[in-house]
Amino acid sequence: MARKSFMYSVLEAVQHEMRQDPNMIWIFELTAPVASTPGRPVINLEREFGRKRVVNTGIDENWMAGCVLGAGLAGSRAATYIPYQGNCMCFQMLQNHAGKLRSMTGGDAEMPVVFILEMTGQTPGFAGQHSDYEIDTYYAHIPGLKTVVPSNPTDAKGMMVSALRDRNPVAFLYPAGLRDLIEDVPDEPYTTPLDKAAIRSEGSDITIVGSGGGMPEVLKATELLKSQGMKVETIDLRSLKPIDTATIVNSVRKTKRLLTVDQSYYTLCPGAEVIARAAENVDGARFKRVAFPDAPPPAAPEMFLWMRPNADHIVAAAKKLVG
Amino acid sequence: MTARHDVLEKDSRDRREPAATRRTFLRGIAGAGAAVSLGSQAAWADGEIGFWAKDLGPDQLIHMYTTIQRIRWFERTCADKMLTEPNYRGYNHFYVGQEAVAAGVSAALKNTGGIMEADLVYSTHRPSGHAIAKGVDVRKMAAEYEFKATGLNKGYAGEMHIADKSVGFMGADGMIGPGPVIATGSAFAIRARGSKQVVVNYGGDGTYATPHFHSTLNNAALLKLPFIYVLENNLYHQYAHYSYSCPMKDIAVAAKTYGIPGVVVDGQDVVQVYNAAKEAVERARAGEGPTLIEAKTYRYYNHWGAPGAKPGELGAFGYDPLAITSFRPERELRAWMSRDPVDISRSTLIAWKVFDRAKADAIEAAAKQEMIDAFAWADKQPTAKPEDGLKHVFVEGEVAARQFG
Repeated sequence: MARKSFMYSVLEAVQHEMRQDPNMIWIFELTAPVASTPGRPVINLEREFGRKRVVNTGIDENWMAGCVLGAGLAGSRAATYIPYQGNCMCFQMLQNHAGKLRSMTGGDAEMPVVFILEMTGQTPGFAGQHSDYEIDTYYAHIPGLKTVVPSNPTDAKGMMVSALRDRNPVAFLYPAGLRDLIEDVPDEPYTTPLDKAAIRSEGSDITIVGSGGGMPEVLKATELLKSQGMKVETIDLRSLKPIDTATIVNSVRKTKRLLTVDQSYYTLCPGAEVIARAAENVDGARFKRVAFPDAPPPAAPEMFLWMRPNADHIVAAAKKLVG
Repeated sequence: MTARHDVLEKDSRDRREPAATRRTFLRGIAGAGAAVSLGSQAAWADGEIGFWAKDLGPDQLIHMYTTIQRIRWFERTCADKMLTEPNYRGYNHFYVGQEAVAAGVSAALKNTGGIMEADLVYSTHRPSGHAIAKGVDVRKMAAEYEFKATGLNKGYAGEMHIADKSVGFMGADGMIGPGPVIATGSAFAIRARGSKQVVVNYGGDGTYATPHFHSTLNNAALLKLPFIYVLENNLYHQYAHYSYSCPMKDIAVAAKTYGIPGVVVDGQDVVQVYNAAKEAVERARAGEGPTLIEAKTYRYYNHWGAPGAKPGELGAFGYDPLAITSFRPERELRAWMSRDPVDISRSTLIAWKVFDRAKADAIEAAAKQEMIDAFAWADKQPTAKPEDGLKHVFVEGEVAARQFG
């Protein structure tokens, strides 16, 4: 057990799997597969496994995604790290190929591949193209592509081990806003399911559902509300495809109030799907959504920070729903 | 043109076999500054250099030099603010070192008349130089970099998305790939409507590896579009040396595949850049199709911001914590700085008796003062109103706030 960042935890999982499986490959472009943490060895996949298995390309996400997909089809496990600037450049590879080949081949094709899709972290000032990659819904909408979005280093490691061992293609969303999050993470490999939400707080007044980069503010709001006497049940989705309907429905049956929180755009945000599933299964519940407006993120921090959902917004929305 | 093609063919004959080690490749590249220098001397002796530029009047030549100085001091002023003012919020992907490329290209373009008349320029994530050379207002740029409500794009753009279609500056683009494809669309429209405009796309060495590079040149060549791809090869895409993404030394050789001219120019020498651009623009205006110009150049700062730089000093020699893939050797940076576009343009114009030292110094001092004033003006501008973030999503109206639930 040592204190580790999200990326250290992910690379520790990858390193372990690559040591076990000499065929496994890793493709990157600008983000070198290097991570360090105090008291633990530096992880450098390129140095450890050599440039035959670990290689950086030019700025060509299309090739990166295609390469790991082809490797998977040929029987080798493969993963790629696609930085936030470019993760939609390869959308076709995920949507029309990775997501469909199993079905199109009547079950013949197998793709043990992981697409690590970095999301921006929504840094104020970076403007339109470098701010909006909390585009979780895009991937969750693709049939045949498992889509997960861990919100802390512990889940990141366990879900990465599971994703690498999965025989299906997995979109592993990495909210870069979590890069500073550091916590104790076990050194040995372990698995965390790719289809289970996590209940972060138990309560009976309201269910708050968030995921990925939005979770730190959701947890902050949860503590604020609890300190004011509200019994909050907080759920971290962790998986967007499949969505853990049972955990959501069980919670909303109890609370009858559901507030969803997303850093991504309002229309068709993951919360919309969560509310739909609760509405289909629970009578008499009330719902509310907090999300980024349907606008590209402007550069000016004054505008951007006003638009981005935060703990204060969540607290106010929860009070409206419960009050 | 012929002379340049000869150089190009020689380069491609000299190309290392793919099996050549990266070390061999880098050894070749390390001498690139010197090699370009020799190349430009040879070209000069052939009478190639100065052919077009010598047709220019003193005002136009001085304008090119002034543009280089204005870009240089816009950015140095910005860098100093980043380094010395903790509350300064702007940032920049510095273009310093590459100024002669934008200055030389824009000198061959029509820069007034809006999108229906001006020549159109598509820029990159490193846009300051392209914008200033095209005639964008530097005060509004400085305000935009600080996200001010009265900035060039009202605080929505920051540095990375500045645009001003009134001078044909179609905008900076933070992505590597799509820009040049979109630029060919503008060129197609121009050809379809029969106007005499041309479209210039700036891109870096990193753009070669994208599938869009092929799509751009293939369609531009097939359709004979009035299009010029100015590839600024500054050796690094972000923090990776271009040998990681490109198997050949001269990216311009790619043009041969499409049967269009591919020209290598010394990007530090504004006269060479102008000569190549002028030829490409005339070719495009005459309906003869696209040209790929590869300008060998170098940026004096790291990919982003001013890490490693010191206030009041030119260039960033210090450690950049973000530079994981490739470190820029200090020797390489110093070699390129010894062929500075400011010095080269200045000594050329003095040699041509276009101006004297005193006049050159006065132009520099004026450029420096203009930029100090521009950034001071920007500082005083109002910040954006938060709720304006819901505007400009569509032409009409605004979208709803959703963050409050």
